[in-house]
Amino acid sequence: MAGLEDGREWAYRVDPYGFERPDDFDYASYEAFFSRYLVVLTRRAIKWSKLLKGKNSIQKSLKVKRYIRKGIPNEHRALIWMIVSGAQTNMEQNPGYYQRLLEGEKNDKLVEAIKTDMNRTFPDNVKFRKTADPCLQHTLYNVLVAYGHHNKAVGYCQGMNFIAGYLILITKNEEESFWLLDALIGRILPDYYSPAMLGLKTDQEVLGELVKMKVPAVAELMERHGVMWTLVVSRWFICLFIDILPVETVLRIWDCLFYEGSKIIFRVALTLIKQHQAFILEATNFPDICDKFKQITKGTFVTECHTFMQKIFTEPGSLSMATIDKLRETCREKVLSQG
Amino acid sequence: MSRKKAARSKGGGSAPSAALPPPAAAAPRSPAPAPELPRNGGATSGRPSLSSSGEFYDLAFKVMLVGDSGVGKTCLLVRFKDGAFLAGSFISTVGIDFRNKVLTVDGVKVKLQIWDTAGQERFRSVTHAYYRDAHALLLLYDVTNKASFDNIQAWLTEIHEYAQQDVVLMLLGNKVDSAQDRVVKREDGEKLAKEYGVPFMETSAKSGLNVELAFTAIAKELKHRSMKLPNEPKFKLHDYVKKEVRGSGCCRF
Repeated sequence: MAGLEDGREWAYRVDPYGFERPDDFDYASYEAFFSRYLVVLTRRAIKWSKLLKGKNSIQKSLKVKRYIRKGIPNEHRALIWMIVSGAQTNMEQNPGYYQRLLEGEKNDKLVEAIKTDMNRTFPDNVKFRKTADPCLQHTLYNVLVAYGHHNKAVGYCQGMNFIAGYLILITKNEEESFWLLDALIGRILPDYYSPAMLGLKTDQEVLGELVKMKVPAVAELMERHGVMWTLVVSRWFICLFIDILPVETVLRIWDCLFYEGSKIIFRVALTLIKQHQAFILEATNFPDICDKFKQITKGTFVTECHTFMQKIFTEPGSLSMATIDKLRETCREKVLSQG
Repeated sequence: MSRKKAARSKGGGSAPSAALPPPAAAAPRSPAPAPELPRNGGATSGRPSLSSSGEFYDLAFKVMLVGDSGVGKTCLLVRFKDGAFLAGSFISTVGIDFRNKVLTVDGVKVKLQIWDTAGQERFRSVTHAYYRDAHALLLLYDVTNKASFDNIQAWLTEIHEYAQQDVVLMLLGNKVDSAQDRVVKREDGEKLAKEYGVPFMETSAKSGLNVELAFTAIAKELKHRSMKLPNEPKFKLHDYVKKEVRGSGCCRF
């Protein structure tokens, strides 16, 4: 019996994706949440299997979009991400391309930069340990090296290691992870990772403008204390909420990110800020503000991923692509003029 | 010096900086922070304040850790802050973050707000902005990584361009615990530091060698600059470091 107890203990200490739970993990409230979420998951699984009818394909449609907002069951997640992001098509149209990248000549500097981050990517995940078998560090290394040679303008940027790591955990497939990474970096996200990081800087400014419109008191607080947005949100954008929000919540966000695009990041950020407006406004100085922005990404509000995902489509109010495009244009000018 | 609790402002709208230290102007040699930068980043004197973690302090300074990716900036900070080594349990730093530590220097409570930065080149355009109101910079290289040492000159150029002229600067050769993997000799580090007139020491975030000293030396220098007493002899950072520094032990390269 002791062995069983130990086994169970271990299973609880490591989540289904291989991440060790922190010592202060609140098992009781997580269990309470998960038993409720399990009902949702079961209902969604039935709906999805009816939608897919055993086929490995779907067409984009309003119904599919609605289904995705309610969460893709884990067993279909890789497939749906591949299809709706266009990664599947690219992979099919370029057979052998990934392998050729791996076999080609390597840029030493790029390889060195990637190696530096190998032991620093998910040390809290048992599958990424050097001693793990299979060890996902090798897979991660291959995906990043191949990507750096595929997209030379970007090469390798810290943050991509975490994103590729998640893709590998979900797809359990090296080549699919590569094509999904390409979908994100090459198409879905606007220039976050290239050396000038213009898209990143622009989107941080855009968020600042959106907060001014939708949560003006917080924008005013930031301005009053001279807190630059980049300081509190750069990791939200660069890591797409990895290590910021709980794994399950990140995956639900990514479901929508692959279908609806980078706008989702603003919805998540605005929801976090608006929901915790009163809390943030308690801050009376610069370090306080930074601390509040760390606090608001923790707790039941973000753990309850299903409710959270409903919130991101209601809480920030309307957010048209036209508005974002316009803001991106003006903010890009502003960033460029600042040098 | 008495340390009574500083008044904290209540209610969001009024006197937001009541609990904050007075502006940097209180310290004659420290630069005034640029308007968009943290206003409490400046040195203060004359009035004790309460840091956000609830610790009292008399002076506050901003210190930045810079250097190539993977040289051990985060580990150095954690070693200093928590006295622990993050063996295999830390992640690469993306962007920029800071942690506070209050230490006592000659009976004065000095709060260091220590900024940890991503070392990858492309993040520099993000971190530049923070150089401007840094009071001190710790520039790190990794003694087991030649490239990180070769890049020190480029870092110095960058620092000269973006940091304040009188910024306190120190060069640290980290990871000296890895004696077998060492490729940069201590003498090379010393020579480079001398060339640029910068104090130098070798450190190990893993063993803790000279970590406390690096931050203490910086804190002493900053404290002396901002509250120089009339009959006090001038504090000489170079001499202090030379006197206090410990070698990396038996395995001299």
